[in-house]
Amino acid sequence: MIIHADMDAFYASVEIRERPELRGRPVAVGGSAEGRGVIAAASYAARQHGVRSAMPTGAALKRCPDLVLLPVRLSLYAEVSRQIQAIFARYTPLIEPLSLDEAFLDVSASRRLFGPAAVIARRIKHEVREELGLVVSTGVAPNKFLAKIASDLDKPDGFVEVAADGVQAFLDPLPVSRLWGVGRVTEAALRKRGMHTIADLRRQPEEALRRQFGEHGRQLWRLAHGIDERPVVAEHEAKSISHETTFARDIDDPDTLRAVLLDLTEQVAWRLRRHGKRGRTVQLKLRYDDFRTVTRAHSLREATDATQAIWQTVSQLLDRELAQGIPPLRLLGMGVSGLDEGADSDRQGDLFASTAAEGKAVDRVADDINARFGGKVLQRARACRQGRS
Amino acid sequence: MKLLIQRNDLLGPLQKVIGAIEKRQTMPMLGNVLVETSNGKVSFTATDMEIMLRADVEYPEATQPEAAAIPARKLLDICKAVPESSTISLVADNETGVLRADNSRFTLVCLPADEYPTIEHAASSAAVVLPADVLRELLEKTSFAMANQDVRYYLNGLMLEIYPRGIRAVATDGHRLALCQIEMEIGELEKAEQVIVPRKGVLELQRLLAEESGDVSLLLGAKHVRVVTPNGEFVSKLIDGKFPDYQRVIPEDASNRLTISRKGFRESLQRAAILSNEKYRGIRLVMTPNLLTLEAHNSEQEEAEETLSIDYDGAELSIGFNVQYLLDVTNVMKGSEISLALKDSNSSVLLTDPDDPSAQYVIMPMRL
Repeated sequence: MIIHADMDAFYASVEIRERPELRGRPVAVGGSAEGRGVIAAASYAARQHGVRSAMPTGAALKRCPDLVLLPVRLSLYAEVSRQIQAIFARYTPLIEPLSLDEAFLDVSASRRLFGPAAVIARRIKHEVREELGLVVSTGVAPNKFLAKIASDLDKPDGFVEVAADGVQAFLDPLPVSRLWGVGRVTEAALRKRGMHTIADLRRQPEEALRRQFGEHGRQLWRLAHGIDERPVVAEHEAKSISHETTFARDIDDPDTLRAVLLDLTEQVAWRLRRHGKRGRTVQLKLRYDDFRTVTRAHSLREATDATQAIWQTVSQLLDRELAQGIPPLRLLGMGVSGLDEGADSDRQGDLFASTAAEGKAVDRVADDINARFGGKVLQRARACRQGRS
Repeated sequence: MKLLIQRNDLLGPLQKVIGAIEKRQTMPMLGNVLVETSNGKVSFTATDMEIMLRADVEYPEATQPEAAAIPARKLLDICKAVPESSTISLVADNETGVLRADNSRFTLVCLPADEYPTIEHAASSAAVVLPADVLRELLEKTSFAMANQDVRYYLNGLMLEIYPRGIRAVATDGHRLALCQIEMEIGELEKAEQVIVPRKGVLELQRLLAEESGDVSLLLGAKHVRVVTPNGEFVSKLIDGKFPDYQRVIPEDASNRLTISRKGFRESLQRAAILSNEKYRGIRLVMTPNLLTLEAHNSEQEEAEETLSIDYDGAELSIGFNVQYLLDVTNVMKGSEISLALKDSNSSVLLTDPDDPSAQYVIMPMRL
């Protein structure tokens, strides 16, 4: 069984915990309105006034003039996140963090020690509240997809369990937008074909969905049946490290795509370095506006964790695709596989050390700064040209 | 086009040029070899648009220019498979080619010979005529150190330089460097001309030069390098990039010097290398007065130790290397002895042949 644990209004809740006098008041974390900032997280009291994350701060203050706006303190949240992970780790080593505030836990093998998954989820909720003063919503289900929906259904302070024999009853009444990979575009397409709930979609023949939506249609059909076989992968044993992003609007502008790709590359390279891994195979993933998904890969002679080396390789892969002329993209992803634990390449001296060392030094400084301030404080300039903040 | 030719006379040149034919082609013609007869010889040309190789063989019967573009790999495989003593008859036009040998007959699909692509090479900016074996030696002594699929693309090749007093080849993968320079009179040359020949081109050029004797012309252009041999021709596009400053990495202050029998050193390295594997290639050299010790460990904590008596009165030094890099150098050197010069345990080693100053090898140490 899988538990999906998702912190409630994480950044805002941490801030309120630090300043109990704010409890019950509308609190948001984000950039200032003067600086054209956006809301990063809002407390539930603020949400009642219509404040949402990713909303411009100016707009949020209009909706909720009493809003207590606090600056983002990512290093603090990262520290709390580590404490939460430490609680998870009491029950299973199979923890797959998705971000600072959510993670999958595979507790299948923990039953004899700690009891059924639902019991473990309750204990985690209890310990997070008692020890950290924070609230976590949990979803317990036979797989990752169902657990993630379940944790979200009863927020805040949610606890939803989906039993193995109750999967269909659980899914059927939900709207199709609950399915992974169904954004506004797909939702509209599904609704046009009369599919509003997951039950509607489930009753379609798999083949019909595949004809209409390609491989993505098959995936939707499988999800509607509650099928999701992806394992929980703890990062320290990952065979590959990757990152991808789905665009709100399909993108075909080469510069924007390169900027997004560089951003993804920096994140993947940072995770490689954080785990002391090096990868040899660099992969590019593209999903076109018609949902066709293609991957391109190139293997380096030596495993690397250097942002520059990975970027050179993956940007060449993208440039080659762009040169051939490709449809607009709805998803762009990249990853590094063929991981090893820094073999000889680590210790072999370099004749032209200054160039390689410069790259390493830049990576190290960037990692330090980003670790200290959390997230993407320091980035390569070209990664900033995405027109999204 | 008609040919009546001994199997070996056909096989030899085909094998020399086949390396230019990629396994998968971007256009069908690039899977074919251009066979041309003229002036008492047959020429075989193959290209992948990056490099072009041509090998000639004498064919006195050729009277007028004729040509055919024949599927290269099939032609080669057929030649290899027919008995060595066969005489092969080949009759080909723009559509089909018929090959007969002993009791065999093959009909192959050919393409129009006049559509065979060429690599346009503009005028050269530096040229030199030199004995084939000198060029061969330059390449043999250095090409092993070329990088392979390195992100520093300019290392995936060999730097060739013609300078007023000679010719020089340098290759490096960033961990070790091989340099060979041969002094010779270079006619008029305003300044040194430098090109980077891609790895594949270097390997194919070595193959083409293998049996050549006599003089060859080496022509360096802005975008291409060209070598004309008595029995063939090689053209390659260049790597467009700046080769690193090799002079800077040749150590000058390496005051701890020792000389050692090349054969003895190589055999010791080979034995010690038994305990290394693909992931772990480290070997430690410990130098004490008149004694060199080689130590290798592997991940299972097994050990190898080799001792060699040497002529050495420098500082006591312990330094680690990738054993393969040392073996590569001892393998390409020809002389009976090798000189090693080191500064300290963190700096590169310079390897030379005391009787032949033309080649220099630099290897960076490995932390063990």
